Amino acid sequence: MSYELIAILMFSSLMLMLMTGQRVFGAIGAIAAIAALTLWGTGGSDIPFSAAMKVMKWYPMLTLPMFIFMGYILSESRIAEDLYKMFHVWMGPINGGLAIGTIGLMVLISAMNGLSVAGMAIGATVALPELLRRGYDKRMITGVVQAGSSLGILVPPSVVLVLYAMIARQPVGQLWLAGVFPGLMMAGMFIIYIYIRCRIQPELGPPLPMEERNVPRKEKLRLLWAGVLPIAIFASMMFPFLKGWTSLVESSALGALAALTAAILKGRMTKKVFEVSVRQTLAISCMFMWIVLAALGFGAVFDGLGAVKAIDALFTEQLGLNPWVILILMQLSFLIMGTFLDDTAMLVIVAPLYVPLVGELGFDLIWYGVLYTVTTQIAYMTPPFGYNLFLMRSMAPPEITLRDIYASIVPFVLIMVVALATLMVFPQIATWLPDYVYGR
Amino acid sequence: MLKAASVYVKVVDRFNYFIGRIMMYSLFVMIAVLLWSTLSKQIFVVPAYWTLEMAQFLLVAYYLVGGPYSMQMGSHVRMDLFYGEWSDRKKAWVDCFTVILLIFYLGVMLYGGIDSTSYALEYNERAPSLWRPLMWPVKAVMCFGIFLMLLQAISELIKDVATLRKIEI
Repeated sequence: MSYELIAILMFSSLMLMLMTGQRVFGAIGAIAAIAALTLWGTGGSDIPFSAAMKVMKWYPMLTLPMFIFMGYILSESRIAEDLYKMFHVWMGPINGGLAIGTIGLMVLISAMNGLSVAGMAIGATVALPELLRRGYDKRMITGVVQAGSSLGILVPPSVVLVLYAMIARQPVGQLWLAGVFPGLMMAGMFIIYIYIRCRIQPELGPPLPMEERNVPRKEKLRLLWAGVLPIAIFASMMFPFLKGWTSLVESSALGALAALTAAILKGRMTKKVFEVSVRQTLAISCMFMWIVLAALGFGAVFDGLGAVKAIDALFTEQLGLNPWVILILMQLSFLIMGTFLDDTAMLVIVAPLYVPLVGELGFDLIWYGVLYTVTTQIAYMTPPFGYNLFLMRSMAPPEITLRDIYASIVPFVLIMVVALATLMVFPQIATWLPDYVYGR
Repeated sequence: MLKAASVYVKVVDRFNYFIGRIMMYSLFVMIAVLLWSTLSKQIFVVPAYWTLEMAQFLLVAYYLVGGPYSMQMGSHVRMDLFYGEWSDRKKAWVDCFTVILLIFYLGVMLYGGIDSTSYALEYNERAPSLWRPLMWPVKAVMCFGIFLMLLQAISELIKDVATLRKIEI
C-alpha cells in the first residue's frame, strides 16, 4: 500500500471514530496506536508513550493550567461583573451599545487568559441574560459572545500561539505581540458590524431606557475603575515577561497568582469559587493535555510516513504552484478540516505538516502564526465541531436553541474571513509590533 | 462475577476520585515552584536550575494521574453531532465498542511506558540538563497515571454494559 493511501486511510478512520462520539483523545489515540502497530510491529508500540515524553519536554505547556486557572477565577468569582457594568453604563445609550460593550468586555477578558473558555463563561452567564432581558436579538448576541470570546486565543496571552510556537520553533513573545493588533482589528470589525446592523435594524439592539441612563457622573467615573483590574492583571504578567525578568512560564504563574490575589482582595474568593476553579482547571487541562498527547502520537506516525515530504512535493513540484496560491490553499484546507476535526488535535496534527512548508516558501512564520490562529478561531465557531459551540450549548440560557447558535455565527465567521484576507494582504498589521519591540 | 464487577467499579472509582482530588491541588505546587524560580533569580542572581524540570514533572503527573478523575467528571469532549441525539441505551451500545479501542490505546501506551521505565532503571538514565535528575521516578509516575486511566476506562466499560443489561451497579 502506498504511503499516501495509508495517510488517507488514517484520516478517514479518524473521522469515523470521531463520529461515534467516543472521547476525542481516545479516538485519535486508538487510530495512532493501531496504525503504529500495523506499520512497524512492536517497534511502533513506543509511539504513544514517547508522545507523553515529548509533551513533558514542551515546557510552555505549563502555561496551560495557569491560564485556565486564571480564566476560571475570573469567571467564577464574578469580578468581571463590574467590568460588565462599566460597559453597560457607558455604552448603553447607543443602539446596540450593550452588544458593542460586550465585545469590549471580551477583549479585556482575552487579555487576562489564554483560551476562549473564560470569555464564553462570562459572556453566557453575565452578558447574555442581561442582553436578552433588554430585548436584544438573541441570534445577534449569541454570535457576539461566541465571536468575542474567540479573541481569547488571539489577544495575548494565547495558548494556541504557545502551541504554535512549540511546533514552529518561534519565540512566543514575538507571536503574542503579533496577535495584539489583529485582535484589536477584529474586535473593531465586530463593533462596526454591530453598529451598522443596529443602525439599519434598530429593533435588534434597543438603547437603554431613559430612566436607566440617569447614572450620576460620579458613579460613572467610579465604574471606570473596574477597567483598571484587567489592565493590572495583564501588566503583572506581561511586563516582567517583555522585560526579560521572567520566562513565559514564570509569567503565567505570576498571572495566576495576580488573578487569585485580585479575587481575594475583592472578597470574592469563597470556598465554592475556589473549589470550582481548582476542579475545573484540572478537568479542562486534562482534556487538552490528553488530546495533545494523543494527537502527537498520531502526528508521529504521520511523520514516520514521510507525509510532510509528500505534501511538500505535491504542492511545489508536481503542481508547480505559486507560493501565494499554496498559502491560500493551505488556509482553505485548514478551514475545512477545522470544521470537522477537533480543533486542538488539528493544531497538533496539521501544523507540523504545514509549518515547514510555509517556512520553505519564504513566508514569515510569526505572521503565519497569526493567520493560523485566526483560522483556528473560525474553527472554534463552525459546526459540527467547535469548542465555542460546545461551550455555548452547555452555558447559554435555555431560550437560545441550537439552531440559534448555529445561525448566529454566520455574519461573524464572514467578518473573520475578511479579517484573515486583510491580514494576508497587509502582513504589517501583525508584524509591525514585534518588529518594533524586538527590532527584527 | 456481577459482584466482582460491581466491587471493581466501586474501588476503582473511589480510588481515582481520591487521588484526583489530591492531584487537583498540585496546581499550587506548580505555581509555587515557578514563583520560586522567579524569586531566586532576583535574590541569588543565579536562577535555581531545577525549577523548570521540576515543574514539568509536576505537570505530567498532574494530567496523567489526574486524568481518571477528569474522565469521571465527563470533561473529555466528544464529537456530539450524532452522539448527543442518541438515547442513553444507544450511547452505551456504541461506547461499549469504542471504549475497547480506548483501552487498547492506553494499553499500548502503558506497554511503551513500562519498556521505557525499565530501560531508565537499568541504565540509570538521567535527563541531559544541569540538574541531571534520574528519569525513572517520573516515568514510573507516568506509568502509574496511565495505568489508573486504563482502570478507569475498564470501569466505564463495565458501567456501559450494566446500562445495557439494566443492572444497577
